[in-house]
Amino acid sequence: MSCSPYDLRDYLFDELAPAERTDVRTHLAGCQSCEAELESLRLTQSALLTIRDEEIPQRIGFVSDKVFEPSPFRRWLSGFWLSASRIGFVSAAMLSAAILTLALRPNVQDVHNNAQPAAQTVAMTRAEIDQRIEAAVDARLTRVVDAAVAKAVSDSEDRAQKRTGEILAASAKHVAAEQAEVKELKAELFYLHSVNNVAMVSASARSPLQ
Amino acid sequence: MIFRAVEDADLIHRARKGDVDAFNLLVSRWDKRVFNYILRLVNSREDALDLSQDTFLKAYQNLKKLEEASRFAPWIFRIAHNEAYSLLRKRRPEVDAGEGLPPDHAKPREYPVELSLAAAAALDRLSADQRETVVLKVYQGFKFEEISEILEIPVSTVKSRLYTALELLKSELAPTARRSFL
Repeated sequence: MSCSPYDLRDYLFDELAPAERTDVRTHLAGCQSCEAELESLRLTQSALLTIRDEEIPQRIGFVSDKVFEPSPFRRWLSGFWLSASRIGFVSAAMLSAAILTLALRPNVQDVHNNAQPAAQTVAMTRAEIDQRIEAAVDARLTRVVDAAVAKAVSDSEDRAQKRTGEILAASAKHVAAEQAEVKELKAELFYLHSVNNVAMVSASARSPLQ
Repeated sequence: MIFRAVEDADLIHRARKGDVDAFNLLVSRWDKRVFNYILRLVNSREDALDLSQDTFLKAYQNLKKLEEASRFAPWIFRIAHNEAYSLLRKRRPEVDAGEGLPPDHAKPREYPVELSLAAAAALDRLSADQRETVVLKVYQGFKFEEISEILEIPVSTVKSRLYTALELLKSELAPTARRSFL
């Protein structure tokens, strides 16, 4: 047993007040028994401290990983979305949204007639009007361009056909002229032959005994 | 025990306001100590890891119940203690947490070569209550008042358990340690 004025284990574990620690140190200086007891306690403590703390096998899941896991409602929602019933729900929701959209969509004429429509409705209607005008202009422009192109093509074809006719007519006229000239030359040739025959006959007649 | 108490107090204050990063930093400061404390109670690394996780989760969820931010250490160890004993009750339903696990009365084995093995064996032979007070005092460095707060028992009971355990450990370990150290 220790004869120290204070418990040596309290001294070992630093549970004494400074003044008490001083008293124990004074006592230990002159008491081999208490000094040996304290040494045994220190050896025991040192032996225990040879067991080292282990490293954590893996990182502790922090708050952001676990605490903020989905609430019960979100968990239910998540389970719902993973279930087969979500398809029916989505279909019904989309159908409802379509019906609602059609029901609430303002008519363009109504917008024009309405003096002070809601801002959102006006915005939607104007956008729709712009879209429609743009579509009409595009259609009108397409028609005009198509007509102009068609007319240009037709005119071009007419001009080409007319030119071809003119060329053919000129050619025919030229051929006819050529044929007339050939006929005229034949006639002249025939006349010359006739004249020549007549001359030869006359010469034979004037020369008696050739 | 005051271990970076000011910084921890600031972190707790911020965490209470919803600063998750502050609490994450707090976890990173304490997780190894909590893990090793629980490990020495349940003797299973897997269980100790799970219980450490649960400890910090409950700490975050109940952070506003911590009246004094400077008392975070005993508070978090109290949660860890409860988690560990909750598991021990499941393992050994007949054992009440206040009574602890029955001590192993088997003949003490000698580990002259490895002092740390001898120390581990000696610790295993303590009762659960005795071992826990040794862990909190020797390994975690808590003051008697803090251990009293963690275990929710009087300081006198803390000292009684600790010193009884210390006498047992001394009788087993001091001779071996003397041979090893001296």
